[in-house]
Amino acid sequence: MSETALRPSAPAVTPPSTPGKRRRRSAYARRQGRAGLAFVTPFMIIFTLIMIAPLGYAVYQSLYTTKLIGGTSFSGFANYSTVLQSGDFWDGVIRVIIFGGIQIPVMLAIAFFFATIFDLGVARWGPLFRAVYFIPFAVPIVVSSVMWGFLLDPAYGPFNHLMNAIGFHNFNWLSGNLMIPSIIIIAIWEWTGYNCIILYTALKSVPRDVIEAAILDDTPLWRIIVRIKLPMVRPAIIMLVFINTIGAMQLFIEPTILNNYQAGVVTNTWTPVIDIYSTAISNGQYQLGAAMAVVLAVIIVAISVASLGFRGRRREQ
Amino acid sequence: MSAAAMNSQTRRERRRRERLVERDAAIPVELYGLKRGTVTALTTCCVLFALFTLAPVVWVIINSTKTQSNIFGSFGFWFASPFEFFHTFANLFRDIDGDGTYANWFLNTVLYSLSGGIGATVLAVLGGYGFARFEFRGSKAFFAIIIAGLLVPITLVAVPLYLAYAKVHLINSVWGMILPSMVVPVGLYLMRTYVELSIPRELIDAARIDGASELRIFLRIALPLMVPGLMTVLLLSVAGTWNNYILPLIIFSNNQLFPVTVGMGLWSQHAGNSGDANLYPLLVLGGLVTIVPMIALFALLQRYWRGGLLLGSVAN
Amino acid sequence: MSAISMEKLSKVYSSGVSALAGLDLEVRDGEFVVLVGPSGCGKTTTLRMVAGLESITSGTVRLGDLVVNDVSPRQRDVAMVFQNYALYPHLTVAENIGFALINKKVPKPDRERRVRSAAAALGLMDLLGRKPGQLSGGQRQRVAMGRAIVREPSVFLMDEPLSNLDAKLRVRMRSEVLRVHKAIGAATLYVTHDQVEAMTMGDRVAVLHDGELQQYATPRELYDRPANLFVAEFIGSPEMNLYEATVTGDELLLGSQRLSLGPARTLLAPYRGRTVIAGIRPEHLELDGGAGAGHAGMATLVADVRVVEELGDEAHVFFSIDATAAGASMLAAAAGEAEAGLLAGATHNGIARTNSRSAVRRGQRVTFRVDTERIHFFDPDTSMAVPRMPR
Repeated sequence: MSETALRPSAPAVTPPSTPGKRRRRSAYARRQGRAGLAFVTPFMIIFTLIMIAPLGYAVYQSLYTTKLIGGTSFSGFANYSTVLQSGDFWDGVIRVIIFGGIQIPVMLAIAFFFATIFDLGVARWGPLFRAVYFIPFAVPIVVSSVMWGFLLDPAYGPFNHLMNAIGFHNFNWLSGNLMIPSIIIIAIWEWTGYNCIILYTALKSVPRDVIEAAILDDTPLWRIIVRIKLPMVRPAIIMLVFINTIGAMQLFIEPTILNNYQAGVVTNTWTPVIDIYSTAISNGQYQLGAAMAVVLAVIIVAISVASLGFRGRRREQ
Repeated sequence: MSAAAMNSQTRRERRRRERLVERDAAIPVELYGLKRGTVTALTTCCVLFALFTLAPVVWVIINSTKTQSNIFGSFGFWFASPFEFFHTFANLFRDIDGDGTYANWFLNTVLYSLSGGIGATVLAVLGGYGFARFEFRGSKAFFAIIIAGLLVPITLVAVPLYLAYAKVHLINSVWGMILPSMVVPVGLYLMRTYVELSIPRELIDAARIDGASELRIFLRIALPLMVPGLMTVLLLSVAGTWNNYILPLIIFSNNQLFPVTVGMGLWSQHAGNSGDANLYPLLVLGGLVTIVPMIALFALLQRYWRGGLLLGSVAN
Repeated sequence: MSAISMEKLSKVYSSGVSALAGLDLEVRDGEFVVLVGPSGCGKTTTLRMVAGLESITSGTVRLGDLVVNDVSPRQRDVAMVFQNYALYPHLTVAENIGFALINKKVPKPDRERRVRSAAAALGLMDLLGRKPGQLSGGQRQRVAMGRAIVREPSVFLMDEPLSNLDAKLRVRMRSEVLRVHKAIGAATLYVTHDQVEAMTMGDRVAVLHDGELQQYATPRELYDRPANLFVAEFIGSPEMNLYEATVTGDELLLGSQRLSLGPARTLLAPYRGRTVIAGIRPEHLELDGGAGAGHAGMATLVADVRVVEELGDEAHVFFSIDATAAGASMLAAAAGEAEAGLLAGATHNGIARTNSRSAVRRGQRVTFRVDTERIHFFDPDTSMAVPRMPR
């Protein structure tokens, strides 16, 4: 990042600095600083109100307990120890980690595959497919969950008819065993296009002459893709892993909506966010819910930092 | 020929030229040394995934014309009579089972998305410019905090927001929905990147030497150059609010204030045991009506968001 | 035998832009040929068609005896150095250089030996483990060359390889490139927009303009006998002074001044009574020390000095005479070098290159001596040079 401290024009308009005051910054720089502050202040105010204050409030709340008799009192880390010892909460965490651990690599592989095809122009009607694949991004998750609920409906859904037709009778996409795979399919449907477009634009920014040099070197296509293009778009892939991980850890809407098509599979603690929602909002245990939210945030930050660390190490090699 | 017709003709001509130039700029496929049939095989892959992508959309379009019993009873990927589309469409304007009226929810969604999206864009444009082209005490720390905000799960904020709203009477207030929609850290990040790539420091310095005030420089010089990035942020933040589910779910208990997403969630919950209300056709058509404006918006503004998404990958 | 030959080579892009129109050119074995011209003249397109990266609209390209129009660039056995070097940013210098050898399945020990010898030839031994991002511009340029020479290609193509270097490094790298060329001996086609680079490096130089070959000759020939006005102006710095002049019997009428033609009058005989364009190189205008006209064919030209640019070893004297300049605007349009006009406020219409120690001042009236045998003449209608007598 280029951060020039002072503009070249600064001396011309800088009044002599007042002796005695140990100010390094010129009046000019200060005036500019004030202007800059004025530009970012509106965002910072709302950001503080909506993000930082609630975060602080959540931490604060999580240290209290409300009892039926006796009211609210400070309870230290009692809520946290409840969360950390809750088998259901950790089951939910593991469930979303499994979900993300499968969904993200599979989706990125598909997205990279198609992004490469579009970038190379080795399939017909590339621009058309690109547009089609992006459509799900414009569909709210609630709506896509509803649509997929219909498609996967255990009694009437066309995908069940399909399974019946090819010999799998009494197949249930939304049964306990298949709920996660089904949600993986839905999430792949929702997000592949978006990831594909980002990878496509990243691939497009690989300089043309680098690829031409590889062609003149008689590099086979697969080697151009794997040894040249893939490493050159690694920053974009890492960013996508990041974004998708944060999203996957907060899995909520799909299971909540699918629960309406097949009751009994998605419990109140099925994912951490469902757990938080039912604890804090449905059951009114705000403080415990806040503690869960804090723990989830710590887990997400830990995973993100770990992947950043991984990136850092890879870069040094 | 009218001016508009001429305009569209020149635009089409320009688009054609752009396509041809783009073709000249791409590496010819022959140079990759592909085997015969590779293009066909890969095109087939594309077609298969397109079918997968379009299946739910096609299903929704077809089934938005059906009665409840046909939705379940007839083959999902073909039409069945009677053609109930208009009947169902009329029902979108009625409160059919006491949950609320779709049309009302839809207007709420439009209100929240536009005001939240515009607010988010204004804040992101100002802030992105401020962080990209000024230095002040704490500017780096502030920016780092905002970037950290990208990592904070919405749910973590939603629960305490709910608690705080209860204190300041923002439960069941449209402001409780709009204000959080105005905080889009990604938008600010995109804007900052955009300014750094597209507005040279020298340009701003030149205006300063000419004696223009910072506000004037921003409005007259920077802002016009920021329009493409601004459109991307607007589109992404409108879409973000349009799709938002968990925040309105938590903060609204009054059905009159629901956006479409929460209303449809409620319907899908009640549809199974709503008796004669026949909510399933409404759910299907409601889904279709929800996605059409977004797809239209993305199609209309595609040259903006495509460039904008590129920023994200460049900046990282 | 020729290593590369092009016949009636043309390129029209699908957007309708014509980049090259009927180029005939051949490069002999071991020859270093420079393609030079202003941007957009089609030189890079030509190079890319030889490489096979650009499809051929019409005409043929031969490498050796083989017509390669339909041969994939992968099989052409050509190596290319790109303007932006096109290095693989995530690979080390050694991996960059060795990349093509892996594709050719060269066994590892052999590969390493060849990478090391290429690196040694270019002074890259200490940098083998670095990545392109950690190298200076000159080092990257060397890596790009290393990547090309390690393949021991039969034809070497270079697309403005020095244009991203600073001026001093560029001069140093010129001889470096030539040294490498001598060492490997492969026929080389080298593209540049810099006429100095072309003149100093090329065995032969092809001047291109608007997709057409203007002249293909040795540097000396280009300088001594430019085939047309474009080449006359393009080659040489400062550029040639061009004036409309009238041929009257034994004399040349340049504005109000009469220059006696001497031996040149025979070749101008067909133009008697007509206008020609007379070109005088700035270095052929000598400040007259008062000795007067010497031998036959020596003429004088009186001029008013407008600006003197002192370069230390020499001085550029910007002067004006009352003749009509014929070339400056044309060159400005062609090469984007309006600079000269801007500097002197368009009040001058000629430049002379003189000894720095001659104390000429602005505003002074001076007399130049010029050898009329060294004046170039062009037909104003065709822009072609009036044929010279053989020496």
